[in-house]
Amino acid sequence: MHQITKITGYIAIILIVLSFNFFLPRLMPGDPLSFLTGDPSMDMPIVLDEETRAKLLVYYGLDKPLLQQFADYMHNILHGDLGWSIYFNAPVSEILIGRLKWTLLLLGTATALYMTFGILLGAISAWNRGKKRDVGLLVSLLSIGSFPPFFLGMLLIILFCVNLQLFPLFGAKTPFMRYSSPLDEATDILYHLVLPVTTLVICYIGDVYLLMRNSMLNVIGEDYIVTARAKGLSEWYILRKHAMKNALLPITTMIALRVGFMISGMIFVETVFAYPGVGRLLFDAVTYRDYPLLQGAFLVITLVIIAANFVADIIYVRLDPRLQHN
Amino acid sequence: MKIEKVVSVLALAILVCSACSGITVAAAGEEKVVKFTGDVPGGDWGHPSPFGFYPRGPGYIRMSFGFDTLTWKDRDGAVIPWLADSWEMSEDGKAWTFQLHEGVKWHDNKPFTAEDVQFTFDYIKEQQAAFKWFQAMSYIDHVDVMDDHTAVIYLNEPFAPFLMDIAGNIPIIPKHIWQDVSDPGKFTGAEAVIGTGPFKLVEYNRAQGYYEWAANDDYFKGKPVIDRLLSISVNDPAAALTTGDIDETAFWGRRAKAVAAFENNPDFSQRWGPSYWVLQVIFNCEKYPTNLTAFRKAVAYGINRTEIVEQVVHGYGIPANTGIIHPDISKWYNPSLPDYEHNVTKANEILDSFGFTDSNNDGIREYPTGEDLEFELLTIEKFVREAELIKSQLAEVGIKISVKVMDISTSDTILKEGNFHMVISGHGGIANPNIMQFPDWPGTSCQNETYTALFKEQRETMNATARKELVYQLQELVAENLPVYTLYHPKMCCVYRPDKLDTWFFTKGGVGIGIPIEMNKLVFIGEAAPTTVKKPTATSTPTAAAPTTTPSSIPTQVPKQPGFEMVLAIAGLLVVAHLVLWRRKKE
Repeated sequence: MHQITKITGYIAIILIVLSFNFFLPRLMPGDPLSFLTGDPSMDMPIVLDEETRAKLLVYYGLDKPLLQQFADYMHNILHGDLGWSIYFNAPVSEILIGRLKWTLLLLGTATALYMTFGILLGAISAWNRGKKRDVGLLVSLLSIGSFPPFFLGMLLIILFCVNLQLFPLFGAKTPFMRYSSPLDEATDILYHLVLPVTTLVICYIGDVYLLMRNSMLNVIGEDYIVTARAKGLSEWYILRKHAMKNALLPITTMIALRVGFMISGMIFVETVFAYPGVGRLLFDAVTYRDYPLLQGAFLVITLVIIAANFVADIIYVRLDPRLQHN
Repeated sequence: MKIEKVVSVLALAILVCSACSGITVAAAGEEKVVKFTGDVPGGDWGHPSPFGFYPRGPGYIRMSFGFDTLTWKDRDGAVIPWLADSWEMSEDGKAWTFQLHEGVKWHDNKPFTAEDVQFTFDYIKEQQAAFKWFQAMSYIDHVDVMDDHTAVIYLNEPFAPFLMDIAGNIPIIPKHIWQDVSDPGKFTGAEAVIGTGPFKLVEYNRAQGYYEWAANDDYFKGKPVIDRLLSISVNDPAAALTTGDIDETAFWGRRAKAVAAFENNPDFSQRWGPSYWVLQVIFNCEKYPTNLTAFRKAVAYGINRTEIVEQVVHGYGIPANTGIIHPDISKWYNPSLPDYEHNVTKANEILDSFGFTDSNNDGIREYPTGEDLEFELLTIEKFVREAELIKSQLAEVGIKISVKVMDISTSDTILKEGNFHMVISGHGGIANPNIMQFPDWPGTSCQNETYTALFKEQRETMNATARKELVYQLQELVAENLPVYTLYHPKMCCVYRPDKLDTWFFTKGGVGIGIPIEMNKLVFIGEAAPTTVKKPTATSTPTAAAPTTTPSSIPTQVPKQPGFEMVLAIAGLLVVAHLVLWRRKKE
């Protein structure tokens, strides 16, 4: 029963989000056609005559009444068709898939790393509360974490790409590389991933670290920790099996919430490293008022967030056996 | 202990990876490769087919590598024969007969004929909505095929810029491919990029903004001097030039500051060009008080353009022609226009004469009704510094400005709706009189019949001298009535490694209908280097036909530095060692 309510909940959320995705972009001033022939503040004025404009509106289905457009949009989405991007002149799904794989790779790696390190360091910090190690970690993590991501990214680029020439300057892969093997390709991708991931990890680790540290401090005061010590278990074992496991609960929720923000928040890192992600795409889509692309991108982000929440729910239940019995 | 096992396996995998990747792809012989990036960060300009590119300059340029036009422009902006060897205009200016070059082949080896020309114009007219680049196709009536290599284009009205704006702009497409395509915008297969051009598209990656072209060895104008051409998306072109990731890029406006770093570096050369771009203050000519011509003049006198050029573009620009057309284009530029040089006294006099005086001594003038003389100056983020400067300059003549920054679609909408007093906006293409059609574009508040009629007349005047006179008048009308007050024309600079390619040049008047970038396809097919090299470098061998200059063997890919593998290997080793030690300790 519980599962069913949950699933209905998710479906309801998706439906609501779908309608928001449709109407919100259309509430912004401007329309996709004004950007079609160039950035009106930068490019050569190519003035669409009225006849062509009318033809284009028909072509993109923008001439129909709004409700009709909404019905079409829902119909297409349910049939798996995300539409045709007006600015990029390509299927929305193709554009999104091209970018999404890189976003997920970057996001996944960064999340896994900053979670692991944040949790570990937070736990170590709390375990050594008040000692030199705790203070050192606290000060250093908070200070490097307060760098704005684009600034940090630029610093890393200047140091590692331009001066030391250790890592590639831009992109997700070496352009036009003919790889001798899939392994070669994987290494190349990994190699391009290092700096963007480092930037993200450094920028996001602070919060996780702090939350974990606080959460651990609460747990450490609990009776069962005293009991565990009394049993003569090793400190490391207590930390791992008794303290950390309990302290992880609030972190799970936080990570799930964070994933959604990160997709669009990665725009700075994507821009600095010219990494082909969804954040930048979303920014462009908003600028160009590219309705189909906006709808598609928002939908994908919604789905990722919902998936992250779903995973968090599952992990939560596994971490907290009390929930299983309900 | 499962997790530990997984970790150690992973660590091993990484080690193996790094060992293998030592064998990177070797250099491919004597291939000559040139890598460039656009003047704007972000490299995706759309699928380079005539219906797929994003309708802006860099998109057209990328398309033009694969497709040819009937005529083309050389470095001096003169119309030269291209797919057409020669042409002839009828007495009434309504029929153009083109003798086509014989022996031209499409990339798929089919012959190019007059049929293709006829088909192209019919098709683009029919698919006008999909071909967004050029909107005057209504001038085309029809095209007749006389024989395989003669085509006659008939117009409804004489069209003065025909040779450049139509014949030199519309890409000719192969009939045998497109005749079966009903929705050209969605036709993006390999066949969609078959043209006659000097390069064949090998790969286009939309997500990463990469293009790869291979030379068309059978090109009818001669084999390109390079074998591969790559367009790459980078965020920081200056850094990418330094690291050798790209061989050429261009900077313009305030970004031209980056050029200084390459000035004394013998590995790099640079060339300067005009950007054919203008930044302007657009006035609302329908709203009080900006509807008063004298008031607009007062504002113009209050603005110090020299200061803007110095402060904002760091001197990499010139105060603009008040009649919009770029001063570099002597063919159209009217040099005798008022420039409203900064003059506080004059501005004050005019404002006083309207009765806009500062009666309460707060530094801001008041309308006769007692309200403050205060305006919003709308702009987008790119031009905030210009706006802030204008704000402080106009404060000196007692006009209070509040700068309002918004996103471009919003400002565009406001301009079209006419709900503003002043907007800062810019546009390119000012080498072409066609630009004069709507001086306050994208606004619409300043259009009047005299001006529109004059514009139409010049467009249909075939006599060059008479047309020039009309274009002069158009500029005068703009400079006198000030629907817009032009601020500056930024300069543009391309920086390149001369050992990779030394033939870069800026086309006078811009490529096609006026694209200012240095990517005229002539650059790649061995046109001798231009004479106006700004700073000859020690290493560049002067003149000597470009193809023969040291075809240095360039590795297709710069082999990876060992650094990264080392880091990985050490990290992997550390992880493994740590795991082993840790397990031992436990036991």
